[in-house]
Amino acid sequence: MSSHPSRREFLSTGLSAGLALPVLGATSAMALEPQSAKPTAPVKLDYRTLGRTGLKVTTVGMGCMITSDPSVITRAADLGINYFDTARGYSHGNNERMVAAALAGRRKQVIISTKSHAGNKEELQQHLETSLRELNTDYIDIWYLHGKNSPDEIPDDMIAVQQLAKKQGKVRFIGVSTHSGQQQLLPWMAKKGVFDVVLTGYNFTMDASMDQAIEAAAKSGMGVVAMKVMAGGPRRLKPGDPNLKRLTQEGAMLAALKWVIKKPHIATTIPSITDMDQLDENLKAMSNPLSAGDEKLLTAHLDAISPLYCRMCGKCDGACQKGLPVADVLRFLTYADGYGQFALGRERFLELSAEHQTVRCGDCTVCTVNCPHGVQVSSRMARAQELFA
Amino acid sequence: MKTAGLLLTVLLAAGMAHAQVALDCHFAPGWEPSGPVRHFTAENLYDYKDGAADGYLSYGFARMSTIDCKSGPDSLTIDLSEMNDADAAYGLFTANRDPRLPIAPIGMGGQIQSQSASFAKGIYYVEIVEVADNTEADHTAVMQACVAALQQRLQGRETAPEALQWFPTENLDTVKLVPESVLGLKLLKRGYVAKYKQGQAFVVLEATPESAAEVFKKLREHFDGASPAQVGNEAFQAKAPYLDGICVFRKGRYLAGYANLPDAQQASAMAAKLAARIP
Repeated sequence: MSSHPSRREFLSTGLSAGLALPVLGATSAMALEPQSAKPTAPVKLDYRTLGRTGLKVTTVGMGCMITSDPSVITRAADLGINYFDTARGYSHGNNERMVAAALAGRRKQVIISTKSHAGNKEELQQHLETSLRELNTDYIDIWYLHGKNSPDEIPDDMIAVQQLAKKQGKVRFIGVSTHSGQQQLLPWMAKKGVFDVVLTGYNFTMDASMDQAIEAAAKSGMGVVAMKVMAGGPRRLKPGDPNLKRLTQEGAMLAALKWVIKKPHIATTIPSITDMDQLDENLKAMSNPLSAGDEKLLTAHLDAISPLYCRMCGKCDGACQKGLPVADVLRFLTYADGYGQFALGRERFLELSAEHQTVRCGDCTVCTVNCPHGVQVSSRMARAQELFA
Repeated sequence: MKTAGLLLTVLLAAGMAHAQVALDCHFAPGWEPSGPVRHFTAENLYDYKDGAADGYLSYGFARMSTIDCKSGPDSLTIDLSEMNDADAAYGLFTANRDPRLPIAPIGMGGQIQSQSASFAKGIYYVEIVEVADNTEADHTAVMQACVAALQQRLQGRETAPEALQWFPTENLDTVKLVPESVLGLKLLKRGYVAKYKQGQAFVVLEATPESAAEVFKKLREHFDGASPAQVGNEAFQAKAPYLDGICVFRKGRYLAGYANLPDAQQASAMAAKLAARIP
């Protein structure tokens, strides 16, 4: 079993540590002019340095993937947000075009990152030229290899394409975006020494090993940008899901964003911003630090997911009569359901013995394992078997 | 008993209608699978589509099957997405299609290019992408064969959503379904947006005239300086940051209008044309 602290302990530790840290970066204030032009309080902008790039980025950036209208991006730039993220693969290139249209005329004031999911160097090169054309720009500020979860997925010839593009001035900085496997990938990137930035999934549900990986990456000089800061948000939950109400509770998503911003090694974040209301909400994260009330909200969310997610505390009561390593299987499920790392969860499941892989918990009338934290062991085991087997 | 039997028949029919379509690579001679069919749900789509998964989820995604196919040095990937309803499938198609190219009569609508293809039919949205070392190679024929085979196998609606016909066609650029926050406004939950050479029109479908009236009231409060307009059941016009000249009207359970025109009067004039086409 893992010796990492539970997520609740991690949350508390993270909050305390964050409160004790000195304030990083400069701040400035500007008036917020909402679309309705009704007066509101000024918005404070908070900046940090993005690692060795030296770029000064607002701690709240903008993920443009599901932005509903270009006017939301334009307004975000008007209000001072300066980091905008898109990707070649988002809506088959339509998203890059929307970002270009929305930010037309202000290229030098904003930092634009895009990504390529190319599978080989030829396609990667083609993606770069297409992105430059679609974004209507001579250069991309940060160009990521998209969704790489292990060093094996990043061959040297693709890094060479990135480095050449940097040398040619077509991109200013290069990086990798990753959704899982950070504990292995981030140290490898740091050691490789050629990457300027890493874009990684990071949120309050993750354990302390992620914090350590990010800290090491930042200390190596890489700028760290966080995505999935809302832990998947409510979008992945179906109507009627008991967690939906809690997750859509006013302030819950803002608290999750503030939790990430509080982390000193995160330079900026790219929450997906759909509309003007979300933009206004997320901007508050720069002026209102994580509070005790926010902590309570996040803790409540952890409580809400308790019946679903194993805390990896190692305190399972009882043993499976068929010999299943229950805690391990629940951990694999947490990789998939909790952290969005399905591949990792399945990989670990398939490492179980053939005998254990064929056990179906639904065949037992009574489960002999109980969780002190209320995880519904039998049903969660059945879900793992349904998902991975 | 008879009722129960009828109910069972209906349930079975519904189940069959939503049965997952088996994917294979036998759409043309020489093509074979290079791996097993993989299945994804909303819970793990991120593992396959990374951040692009948000786009699928926002439109109403149910599940996806995907398969990699190869023929000699050529390979392609077929993604078959099952959406919550046909409008969602068409909506996802409009989000991902190349707006610079025409829509072909494939299912509800489709596009075939040299190394990719996509179309929507019923609740299904299909994407086919060539994985090629030679990015200039023309594989249109392969795409056409694959689309033809899949289109034949998929059941469901073959006509685009009715609302699309309501938008005036003069100077029309593109039409797409925006899954949430039309015009960037949370109040306008889900609707069709038509981009014109100048300005944009929108139609949002509310559940009832009463709920539409409620949203209309809140919208009007949202725009400072809004003045009444004579369009539909009720309307207002305004000049607003980011939306320029705008006119919003309600007609029955529909909220619609024009935005991003030079002034509110022009927006109202265009809105009146749109209102006349909405039943």
